[in-house]
Amino acid sequence: MRLPKFEYFEPETLEEALRLLAEWRERVCVLAGGTDVLVKMRNGRLKPGAVIALERISSLNGIGFDLRKGLTIGAGAKLSDVTSHPDILRYYPAIARAARVMANVQVRNMGTIGGNLCNAAPSAENAPPLMALGAVVTAASLEEERRITLDDFFRGPGLTAMKPEEIMTSIFVPTPPANSGASYQRISARCGVDIAAVSVGAMIMIEDTVCREVRIALGAVAPVPMRALSAEAFLKEKVWSEEFLREAARISADESRPISDVRASLEFRKQMVAVMTQRALEEAYGRAIKR
Amino acid sequence: MQTVLYVTDDQERKGNKEIMEEFTVIGKRISKVDAVDKATGRALYIQDFKLPGMLYGKILYSKYPHARIIRVNTEKAKALPGVITVLTGEDIPPVRLGVYKDNPPLKAGKVRSYRDEVAAVAATDLETAREAINLIEVTYEAVPAIFDPEEALKPEAPLVHENHKTNLLKMPWNLHYGDVEAAKIEAAFNVEERFSTTWVTHCCMGTSGAIADFDHADNLTVYTNTQIPSLAQKDFQETLKVLGFKDKRVRVIKPCIGGGFGSKLDTYAYEHVAILLAWRSRRPVKIVFEREEEFCATSPRQPTVTYISMGCDKEGKLLYRDMSMVLDNGAYTSWGATTPSVMMMPITSLYRVPNVRYNAKCVYTNNTYSQAMRGYGNPQATFAIESAMDMLAEAAGIDRVEFRRINSNQPGDVTPQGLKITTCGLPECIEAVSRDLEFGRPREKGVGVGLASLIHVGGGARIYKSDGCGTIIKMDDYGKVDVFTGASDMGQGADTIIAQIVAEELGVKVEDVHVFHQDTDICPWDVGAHASRTTFVAGNSALGAARKIRHRLLNMASETTGIDEDKLTLKNRAFFADGKQVLPIGKLLRGSHFKPRGEMMMADNFYDPPNENMGRDFSGNMSATYSFGTHGVRVKVDEATGKVEILDYIAAHDVGRAINPMLLDGQVHGGVLMGVGYALTEQVILENGRNMNPDFRDYKILTAMDAIHSKAVVIETVDEQGPFGAKGIGEPGCVPTAPAIANAIYDAIGVRIKDLPITPEKVLAAIKKKNGAVSCGIDAFTQKEQPCE
Repeated sequence: MRLPKFEYFEPETLEEALRLLAEWRERVCVLAGGTDVLVKMRNGRLKPGAVIALERISSLNGIGFDLRKGLTIGAGAKLSDVTSHPDILRYYPAIARAARVMANVQVRNMGTIGGNLCNAAPSAENAPPLMALGAVVTAASLEEERRITLDDFFRGPGLTAMKPEEIMTSIFVPTPPANSGASYQRISARCGVDIAAVSVGAMIMIEDTVCREVRIALGAVAPVPMRALSAEAFLKEKVWSEEFLREAARISADESRPISDVRASLEFRKQMVAVMTQRALEEAYGRAIKR
Repeated sequence: MQTVLYVTDDQERKGNKEIMEEFTVIGKRISKVDAVDKATGRALYIQDFKLPGMLYGKILYSKYPHARIIRVNTEKAKALPGVITVLTGEDIPPVRLGVYKDNPPLKAGKVRSYRDEVAAVAATDLETAREAINLIEVTYEAVPAIFDPEEALKPEAPLVHENHKTNLLKMPWNLHYGDVEAAKIEAAFNVEERFSTTWVTHCCMGTSGAIADFDHADNLTVYTNTQIPSLAQKDFQETLKVLGFKDKRVRVIKPCIGGGFGSKLDTYAYEHVAILLAWRSRRPVKIVFEREEEFCATSPRQPTVTYISMGCDKEGKLLYRDMSMVLDNGAYTSWGATTPSVMMMPITSLYRVPNVRYNAKCVYTNNTYSQAMRGYGNPQATFAIESAMDMLAEAAGIDRVEFRRINSNQPGDVTPQGLKITTCGLPECIEAVSRDLEFGRPREKGVGVGLASLIHVGGGARIYKSDGCGTIIKMDDYGKVDVFTGASDMGQGADTIIAQIVAEELGVKVEDVHVFHQDTDICPWDVGAHASRTTFVAGNSALGAARKIRHRLLNMASETTGIDEDKLTLKNRAFFADGKQVLPIGKLLRGSHFKPRGEMMMADNFYDPPNENMGRDFSGNMSATYSFGTHGVRVKVDEATGKVEILDYIAAHDVGRAINPMLLDGQVHGGVLMGVGYALTEQVILENGRNMNPDFRDYKILTAMDAIHSKAVVIETVDEQGPFGAKGIGEPGCVPTAPAIANAIYDAIGVRIKDLPITPEKVLAAIKKKNGAVSCGIDAFTQKEQPCE
C-alpha cells in the first residue's frame, strides 16, 4: 500500500532526535529497524506525521560488557548482533537464544532489541530472558534519563511505561551471579520464522543444592510479558528436586493468563507454560551447577 | 536431499542400459530453461504487465457469511476523482461461473459466504480503487448461516441456495463393485473409523491476477494466471455471449505463473469481474490480488469427512473397502465437488481389493468453496485408506510392510473400477522404503516409523471428452526449433521437459529449442495442466510432432546426400553416416526453401492418450498408465508438547522414466514438504465462515528452515505409452505423506490422529485420552505420566 505523506528525519545525535520528538510529540513515530513500524504503516494501523529514524545515532548501537557490572546493549543493536556477540554468547546464552530463534534472517538483520521491547507485543521474544535476568532499560528525554526495570516496562499490548517524549537508549543486564544459570524456551507451530505460542525465560542461582534465587518470566500468555511470581516464591530457598520443579511449573501455568487464538488454545498454552517452565528451569539448573 | 535411482528387472531385460547411453538429453539433470530469467527478474509475471490506458480494479467482499443485500450505495465511490466504473451485482447480466453454474461474479440479492463479491471498482490508479471500495455502503440483513456439512444435510438447516431446494448437490458419487456386504461377513478381520481433513491452500508465491482488454471490435484479450488456457478461453467466451457479443475472438495470454498446484484450474470471479469492468469502461482493467485476498478469495483444498471400513481374510488379503464421505462444498461449486472422481481411484485400486463401495455427498455451506489442489482428492482419500491399512494390519496381527506386500498391485492387474495396471513399480517402492528405513531397528522412546503408498494417474486422465494436447513445431534456417505447445508451464518445468524431448528426437541441443506456451492465439489446444498429465500428454504430443519433423529431415538429408535414410543418424545438430558428419541440419534447412518447390519445416501433432471416460457406474480406464509410490518416515514425538519431529523421510516413486532427474527431485521433495505441511501444520482456519489466518504469520506453511531430510528413490519402469517411458509425477509427492506420518506417530506413541493437521494440541489430547482422564501427557522431566489437575 502506498504510504500517506510524512516527514522523515535522520538525526545523527540523540539530542537532535529528542528535540524532534519533543517538537512533534504524538504525531511522530520513532523508527529503529523498521520491521514493525513499516509493517504497521503499510497496513494503515500507524499514520504518523513524521518518522524519526534512529539508525544514524551510533551511540545507540553498541554492545558493551564489564564482568564486574554487567551487559549494556544499545537499544539500536541489531538482533543479529545480539545473537553473535561473544560476551552475550558466553555469559547470557538465554538472551542470545531468544534473539536467534525469533523471526528470520532478514528481520534479525534489521530489527533491533530495543524495537522489539518498545513494540511491546505480548509474545516479544527478547522480553522473558531479559526479565528473568533482571534487565533495566534506560529511557532518555530532553529533561532527564530514567531507568525502568523491565518488570515495570510493559503496560499492555503495544503499551509501555515510556513517555511520548522518551527514547529507549539502552538495556542493562547485571552480571549473572555465581552459581547461576538461565534459559529461554519457546514453542511454535513450525521450526522457523514463527511467532512463539508460549515462551519462558528462567534464571536460578543454586547454593549447596538450595535454590537461592529464581526468576521466571512468561511470554505470549498474558497481555504483557509477565513474571511467574508465585512459582518463584514456591521454589525459592527450596532444595532442588524434581518434585519441586514440577510443582513450580504447575504453579507457573496456574498464574499464566493466556487466551485462545489461532496459534493455540488457552488450555494448550497453560500446559505448555508448565512444560516450557520446567524445561527452562532444568536447563538453567544444568548451567548453574556447571559454573 | 538425495536421489537414488533404481532400475527394475523388467527394464534391464529391455536393455535399458544401452538406451540410457544413447540418450543425449533425456535422463540428464538439466537446469530449467527459464531458471536464469526467473532468478534475475527478467521473467514477466501478471504483476509486471501494464497496458496503455489501463485501469486498476478492486473487489468489495461480503461482511457476512450469509445475508440479504438490502441496499448498495455506490454514490460516494462514483464521485471519487479517478473512479471510472463501479459495478454491483445489479449492474451486470446473468453471468454464471463454475461446474455447477451457481456462482455469479458479482452477487445480487444475497451473499452466501465472506468471500462473496458484492461490488467492484475500476479506477485510474490502485490507491483510488482501494479508497473507492471503502466508500461503497452496503446494507445487509443477516440470515442464519450453516457451517457444518453434516448439519447442513438436516431438514431444518438453512438453505444456502433457496432455488436449489436442498443443500445437497445433485452430484451422486456412488459406486459399488463386487459385493461389499457379503465380503464383510466373510472377512476375518475388520476395521471401521472416521477421518477428517480440513482446508489447506496452495500458497502460490505469485498472487492471482488478470487483465481484460477489449479491442475496437469487441474482441477480448485476457492476460491471466491460468493452468487451463483453452478452457478459460471457453469460459470467457461464455461471459462474452451473456454480454451480447457473438462470434468474437477471445485470446488468453499467460504471463509467467508463480505457482499453480491446481489453484488455477477454474476461472475465478475476479477474472470475469475484470472483463465486466473492461466492458463497461471500455478500457483495459487489471485486478491483482493482495496476499490476504489470495488467502480468502481463492479456493482451497476440498475438506472431507470420511467413514471407512475395510476387512481382510486370515492370510491378510484385502476383501473389501467401504467408504463414504461428506464434502463441505462451500457456498458455490468449483472442482472441489468433483474430487470424488479422483478419490475413486485410490479407493477402488490402491492395493488389490475385490469388493469396493463408495459414496460421497457434496453439501452447500456458508464456508469458502474448494478447488483442485495437487492430488485432487487423492491425499484426502489416501489418508483414510492408509491409516486404516495400518489399523487392519494390527488387527490381523500382520507386519505392516508385509501386509502391503501381500496386497500390492501388480503389473497386468485390472482393478474393480476397470483401471488397467500396466507397468507397476509398487512392489519395488515398498521394498525400497522398508529396506531404507530399517523397520526392524531397535526402538527408541517416542520414535516410530510409518509408511503409506499411493496410486495416481500417470498417463493423463480422461475427465473431459478429450484428454488431448496439440503441438506445432517449426524449424528455422539455422536448425533452431520453435515448439508451440498447448501445455502450461506454471513453474513445474513443462517447458524444459518438452524442450528435452524435442531436442532428443531432433538431435539438437536443449538451448536450440524454444517452447511457446503463453498464448491461445499462437499455441494449439490443450485441456490444461492437471492430473499430472503434462509430461505424459504434452510430452507425447511434442514427441509425435518432432518425429514427423525428424522423418522429413532424414528424408531430405538422404535426398541431398544420396545416402540411405537408414544409414543416417541425427545428432549434435547434424547428420552423421558411418560416424562421420555429412551435413549440418542448418545447411539442409536453408537449402529446403531456397529452391523451386521449396518447403518449410513445420509439423503439428495432436495426441490424445488411449484412456477412457468413466461410464455411468464410474468404471473405466481413466488413465493410460498409473504412477505408484511409497513413502516412509521416522518421527520423534515430544510427548510433553505433542510436537512431531521428522527424523528421516524416504519417498520412492515409480516414475516410468526420469526425463530430468533434477526436476523430478523438485517435484518429489517439493511434494513431500507440501505433504508434511498438510500433515502437521497447515490449515485455513475458518471461524463461522471467516478466515482467521489470512497471512503467512498464522497460516503455517513450512519454510525453508523447516525443510526435512528427505531422500527420493526413483524406480524406473519405462512405460511403453509414455514419452521415452515417462509417467506423470506432478502430484504423487504429496499424496501419501500425511498417512505415513500418522502411522509413524501411532508407532511411536500408540495414538492415532484421525483429523488433519496433526497439531501438537491434537497429539496431546490423544495422549490424554489414551491414558484416561487421569493423565495430562508425559512429564518432560520424569518421562512419566503427569496427572491432570
